[in-house]
Amino acid sequence: MTDPAGIEPLFAISHNTLVVACGVAAVGCGAGVIGCFGVLRKRALVGDAAAHATLVGVALAFLATGRRDLPVLLVGGFLSGLAALGVLVLLRVFTRTREDAATAIVLSVSFGLGITLVSGITARGIPGGAGLEQFLLGHTAALTTADAILLAAVSAAAVLLLVLSLKEATLVAFDSSFAAATGWPVAIMDYFLVALVAVMVVVGLPAAGAVLVTALVVIPPVAARQWTDRVPTMLLLSGVFGLASALFGVAVSAVVPRLATGPLVVLAAAFIFAVSFVAAPERGWWARHRQRLAAEEK
Amino acid sequence: MQPPPREPILEFHDVTVAYGRRPVLWNIDLAIDEPCLFGIIGPNGAGKSTLLKAALGLVPLAGGTVRFFGQPFAEVRRRVGYVPQRETVDWDFPVSVSDVVLMGTYARLGWFRRPGPREREIARESLARVGLADVAGRQIGKLSGGQQQRVFLARALAQQADVYVLDEPMAGVDARSQDLIFGVLSELRKAGRLVVVVHHDLRTAAQWFDRVALIDMRLVAAGPTAAVLTPQNLERTYAGRLDLLDELGRAVEERGRTS
Repeated sequence: MTDPAGIEPLFAISHNTLVVACGVAAVGCGAGVIGCFGVLRKRALVGDAAAHATLVGVALAFLATGRRDLPVLLVGGFLSGLAALGVLVLLRVFTRTREDAATAIVLSVSFGLGITLVSGITARGIPGGAGLEQFLLGHTAALTTADAILLAAVSAAAVLLLVLSLKEATLVAFDSSFAAATGWPVAIMDYFLVALVAVMVVVGLPAAGAVLVTALVVIPPVAARQWTDRVPTMLLLSGVFGLASALFGVAVSAVVPRLATGPLVVLAAAFIFAVSFVAAPERGWWARHRQRLAAEEK
Repeated sequence: MQPPPREPILEFHDVTVAYGRRPVLWNIDLAIDEPCLFGIIGPNGAGKSTLLKAALGLVPLAGGTVRFFGQPFAEVRRRVGYVPQRETVDWDFPVSVSDVVLMGTYARLGWFRRPGPREREIARESLARVGLADVAGRQIGKLSGGQQQRVFLARALAQQADVYVLDEPMAGVDARSQDLIFGVLSELRKAGRLVVVVHHDLRTAAQWFDRVALIDMRLVAAGPTAAVLTPQNLERTYAGRLDLLDELGRAVEERGRTS
């Protein structure tokens, strides 16, 4: 295609691509912000268990409705993610399995179940079922404008809820026994924070897929922590890092055909993490190296 | 006319606590009627901290009741300030010293309301009382152990309570911080507050506390410090453990003589 001036445009960016990019960027930003509390409460892997379990709900929602409607599939994913977290709690309480082992069990079993369901659907050639495996690694190219707006709206709502209860969330994450002794419902706050992580994991599915989406709620917060000693600044930075990673993934997968978005998002986040690890003032490797040298000279 | 019978400030009645099936405290009966500096003393694993946690509803009671001012703790939490053990939190957490002290005002603030000028003033005063006004903006991990303990004390002061409950506030704390903390606790007592401290060092216990309770899973003795810290009571509390110390001492002495 040649435009009237006779210059070939490098990329044709459609309106839809633009809206999808913005929506996924909002998801990345929200995941970065919400993920901070998973990391601060030392529950980074809990989101991973929920993420792997979402596949079950996505497949069941598809089987129940027979349509590949994103909102319906995501609601299914959210419910199965929550169910997995419920099983996690029950395993810990009734079998006295340790948290790390319980997480690993729930994660692998629910993922196995999800994969079985999805591959069963694909093998039987149920119409419309062929796209389901895109939830494994993320595939933003298939998103519609309406999908993208929905994802962005849910992310914004999750961030708003967290910012409203920032004081309470910080207190519980920092010192849960003091919080409990002063009358705050620590268990409810914990469920609330985990549920927010589950929400972000679910809306992050199209961007990063069930296998990798947990990286979106873990890597940006850990990178952000390197640069600041304050919770609000950490949330802000983590949001920016998540946004940048998601945008990179969307852009590259839009340009290179058939490249899954998830791995690209994770690689971008890992790059930001590596830079933060080395170059951050005070906590970075380089700064600490300089401090050591200065101390030795004295 | 008779004055109405006064409720004890803090009362444990027949308190039993178990972790799983293993009981850690048996039938504790203890009443503190007057504001004072009260020490809870006993060997490691005697259940001292558990007793405090039971009082604050942080561990469930297997039996018995705990009352503050004659009421269950849940009714009077605002009147009780709490200093947990220092190791229970992550000091690398991204909050500043004054952020932590402000947490003492959160219960009064309630849901969603942010600390305002009044709360900041309370936090500033509390920090000044523990001698940390000049490090208010610093990240908490950059303080010494003694300073960290004083941050926790300042947070309890910001609760503006009538009863203060402290769990091992002198553990791993430098001498200057110990004196400072003890000074603040004495001021609280003079101002008519009850201060209950879990403590494991017998030497300083005798100097500091008005009254003590000796605990080794059961209550051994309670009352004025001089009357309670007798050789017989200590023997019963530390049972075999003081013997062991004596034997060790003798062994070291003998070795010194033979070499």
